[in-house]
Amino acid sequence: MTSVFLLQWQRFRRAPLMVLSFLALTIVFVMVMAGSNPGNSMTVPTYAHPALAEQQQDEWLEQLNKSEGLQFELVEEQEARQAVLDGDTGMALQLMEDDYRLLIVADDPNRFEVESYINRTYAEELRIRQLEQQSTSGEARERVAEMLEEPALTVETQSLEGEQESFVYDGQLQMLFGMALFFSIYTIMFSLMKIVEEKKFGTWNRLILSPLDKWQVYMGHLLYSFTIGYVQIVLVLVLFKYLFNFDVGDQFGLLLLITAVYTFSIVALSMLVMGLVQSPQQLQAVVPIVATGMAMIGGAFWPIELVTNNMLLAISKVLPITYGLDALKSVAIHGRGLTELMEPIAVMLLIGVVCMGIGINLMERKR
Amino acid sequence: MLETEELTKVFKSKAAVDGVSLYLDKGESVGLLGPNGAGKSTTISMISTLSKPTTGDVRLDGRSVVKDPGKMRKVLGVVPQEIALYEDLSAYENLQFFGRIYGLSGSRLEQAIQQALELVGLKERQKEIVKTYSGGMQRRINIAAAMMHEPELIIMDEPTVGIDPQSRSHILEMVRQLNKEKGLTVLYTSHYMEEVERLCDRVYIMDHGTIIASGTKDELKSILSGEETIWIELDRPYPELFAELAAHPEIVQAAETEKGIKLIIPKGKRILGSIFQSAERHQAQILNVNVQTPTLEDVFLHLTGRKLRD
Repeated sequence: MTSVFLLQWQRFRRAPLMVLSFLALTIVFVMVMAGSNPGNSMTVPTYAHPALAEQQQDEWLEQLNKSEGLQFELVEEQEARQAVLDGDTGMALQLMEDDYRLLIVADDPNRFEVESYINRTYAEELRIRQLEQQSTSGEARERVAEMLEEPALTVETQSLEGEQESFVYDGQLQMLFGMALFFSIYTIMFSLMKIVEEKKFGTWNRLILSPLDKWQVYMGHLLYSFTIGYVQIVLVLVLFKYLFNFDVGDQFGLLLLITAVYTFSIVALSMLVMGLVQSPQQLQAVVPIVATGMAMIGGAFWPIELVTNNMLLAISKVLPITYGLDALKSVAIHGRGLTELMEPIAVMLLIGVVCMGIGINLMERKR
Repeated sequence: MLETEELTKVFKSKAAVDGVSLYLDKGESVGLLGPNGAGKSTTISMISTLSKPTTGDVRLDGRSVVKDPGKMRKVLGVVPQEIALYEDLSAYENLQFFGRIYGLSGSRLEQAIQQALELVGLKERQKEIVKTYSGGMQRRINIAAAMMHEPELIIMDEPTVGIDPQSRSHILEMVRQLNKEKGLTVLYTSHYMEEVERLCDRVYIMDHGTIIASGTKDELKSILSGEETIWIELDRPYPELFAELAAHPEIVQAAETEKGIKLIIPKGKRILGSIFQSAERHQAQILNVNVQTPTLEDVFLHLTGRKLRD
């Protein structure tokens, strides 16, 4: 098994371009698409009304920038107007003493969320100011803040569908996880294609006639494909966590575990695909269809939560990428632990075991 | 050393190999001769334990290798018809890998690699990538890979297909050396009659999945001891002339070759005159006429009515 495993690395050293290109593609796609699709942070160009004093302007900005998802950036009025006109930003905000104006050219899907936030911030601030004016003690603001720490009433939001958490969309993580899992399918399937090539070119027979057991030959190949696919995903995650400071949560070990289970299931699925095709040429045609189809239906390109078609949703339930993405996002966005991830992990393992069994069986029948 | 017992392989209710029985003694070089599709490759895939016979058995030193393929695999080297090498690696790396899977390592592995390279005459070019080799060189490395574990029995499935005459001659000489000087038992399959005639002590002739004749070269040729072969070289094919000669009552067998017509006639029959008359009638231009003693190819023609390369 070791000699077959090492042989694959020897061959990889001779032709590393394919694997490296998939790694590079993942990085480029995440950088480009996550760059134009930032996560929770959306920047709103903000300018002040000429009558607004500089101190007031700073106070409003401080209040507004308490949000994690929105960032209000002070710019010149002309610059803000131009940015909206050019379509560089969906909207711009004009600050006034006790009011505001939103500058919008085209319909922006985030408009209501932003407007509601600004409205709430203004309303709360103005209410506190009013309270300060009526209060004699001069400590009204501090007292309100103090009381809000232990409020008399708390409002808890729950979904009608039960315990499901509300859908949180993080563009950066969606792209990072989606692209990393998507491109790894190519790497794994193309690296496993060497089994089909070996059978076609006759080297497989040499291996079978050697003292190696058949399972050792399969294991050598499977282990190599697993390693190369796993390393590719992990490299991307490490790169974006540490170099580009993507917030992937504080359970990186759990992300690695999910990645390992996902990689296993894709290796197994690849074996099933190998068992179904007749030649390396057929496989080259099938791999992009399988990889792209799975990524589209499984939610690698866009969140699965946006899909409403019941048939597509049903198909997504048998794809490992659906569970891989769900588990990774659950850890990174919602901070879930291993116990809560048992279901997607178990499903991926089940898919892996079933596909591996059928795949090897089909490959052996073809001989 | 090795014997097969009524080997049969059926694919989708069609018998590719039908009741083949043959044997090889230790140190013998045996040829399996037959046209493409005769069932030679299927037979050797069963002998080498790559596929299981539908019925029948293969015995190595009296023990069934169908039941226990491990014993056969230890002593067997197979040179497949295709170039079964990793083309993106060098000759050295290929041999290193094939040595490792047989458990060789360290100085033993290195020694085996150098011996194999020396045997095939490619020691100087061992570090070059296999896909940059000529077809003949690739075939030589293909043989070297089968020799890494010093097998006692080697099965060669058409090892000279599609290569230049020089490489072919080199390979044939190498096989002869392995057999005569190193005492290796060789089962050599080919549809090139001259290769089998040059290398093998005994020959099995196969057609349509069965052995149609066997024996030493002389024994086989004696089948045609009462006949001789006339080969007529023509400037182009003449189907009408061929039809007329094939129907000639004195001619035992007629076959169209690439450059003319081959006829098997009873020894001593004087029919050259009538052949020339027929050629005259069909305005055929005869370039050469050659009267030969029968070859194995003629024996095959006699037995099947077809040429080996049909």
